[in-house]
Amino acid sequence: MELLVYAIVSAKNNPEKLFSLLPGIKGISGTSLFSVPFDEVIAVVCEINRIDLNANQSDAIEYARVIESLAEDFALLPMRFGSVMESTQAVHSMLERNLNEILKNLEKVDHKCEFGIKIFCDYEKIRSDLKVKTENIVKPNSEPGQGTKSSIYFDYVNQKLKEHRLEELLMTFVDSVIAEIKERLARLNSENKIRKIGAEKNIIDVVFLFKKDNKDELIKMVESIQNQYAGIKFVLTGPWPPYSFIDITIK
Amino acid sequence: MSENKILFNTGSLDELSDEIGKIARTDESHIKLTPANADSGLAKLVLTLVELIRKLVEKQAMRRVDGGSLSDAEIERLGETLMKLEMKMEELKKHFNLTDRDLNINLGPLGDLM
Amino acid sequence: MHDNVIDRSKDITILELLDRVLNKGVILTGDIVISVADVDLVYLGVKLMLSSVETMEQLKAGKPIIEK
Repeated sequence: MELLVYAIVSAKNNPEKLFSLLPGIKGISGTSLFSVPFDEVIAVVCEINRIDLNANQSDAIEYARVIESLAEDFALLPMRFGSVMESTQAVHSMLERNLNEILKNLEKVDHKCEFGIKIFCDYEKIRSDLKVKTENIVKPNSEPGQGTKSSIYFDYVNQKLKEHRLEELLMTFVDSVIAEIKERLARLNSENKIRKIGAEKNIIDVVFLFKKDNKDELIKMVESIQNQYAGIKFVLTGPWPPYSFIDITIK
Repeated sequence: MSENKILFNTGSLDELSDEIGKIARTDESHIKLTPANADSGLAKLVLTLVELIRKLVEKQAMRRVDGGSLSDAEIERLGETLMKLEMKMEELKKHFNLTDRDLNINLGPLGDLM
Repeated sequence: MHDNVIDRSKDITILELLDRVLNKGVILTGDIVISVADVDLVYLGVKLMLSSVETMEQLKAGKPIIEK
């Protein structure tokens, strides 16, 4: 029987509470959870037959829910779905080999949750707003020497240049939104990661760490940035366990 | 489902859900090389890289033009070269039956290549 | 109309959840994660069969995870 690992929990404060909680939480397919402790950390696991582990949405959601329940009371590092180890001994050695990194990460996420902001930029709309400013055209400085042939290439360059300028303005706009968010999060002393995602890179994806109990402060912050930037739309989600802030390579 | 995780939104849930759904689908952008499709699979890979380079070159060229330091002759030559590159790319895409969408590799956490 | 918003809220919540639990968190097969500029390039999309990539692909295709 292999073990499915859900999370690595900090046993620094009140590990007894974890032991008393575990019987009340069911793992996927109703399995029982148990703990594999080492030093100040505890891996929360359940038994699993690797072959039986169904890689489907509902199992992944159940798995995430277990992590969620644990995260309510404990600082933890969530494992990626599908984290299976051969035995209790294997889990134990893994914790031992990686203890320092694990503790460092637990320290980082202690009393904090992950929140996410996704900003949808309607490029069509922004482009048409910006289009007015891109009417400058590259004109040949002297008379074209070869008649129609050279003007085809100049036309081509003009076309490309217009597109290019529009794209640059778009990027500048997006970068300014990102700079604003970075500044706000810096004011809150919140570690964050920001990147552009989506087929057209038109979604700004922000994840950041913050104290769980200050949701209202975050909602206010997002509202106020939203008011500054009318053309784009914000969605704030959370709190989540700190999935995006695990900086560890398990040996 | 227990709690609602959405703390604030400005009614963009439709677009977001579409976009995130697209990211979750990765099968389309995979380049599967098998003995049967080695030619076109390889072509897809090569053309993707060529297209990436072409776009970067074009971008850089536009920056130079915008900078105003190029002579008419240089702009003309640039235009001719870029235009021919683009046309060649269209030809190749047609020949291998590939769309712009095909030529975009998904880099997982980094998003799409282009 | 109202139902649609509720459905979409659920969709987004599930998508956000799945994105995290499938693509993030601690990875056990860490010794084969390639890092460039502090970004974990687990996944190069060109069928470089890293086992964690394989796991994720099987997950997304709804297949059981086959251990090598």
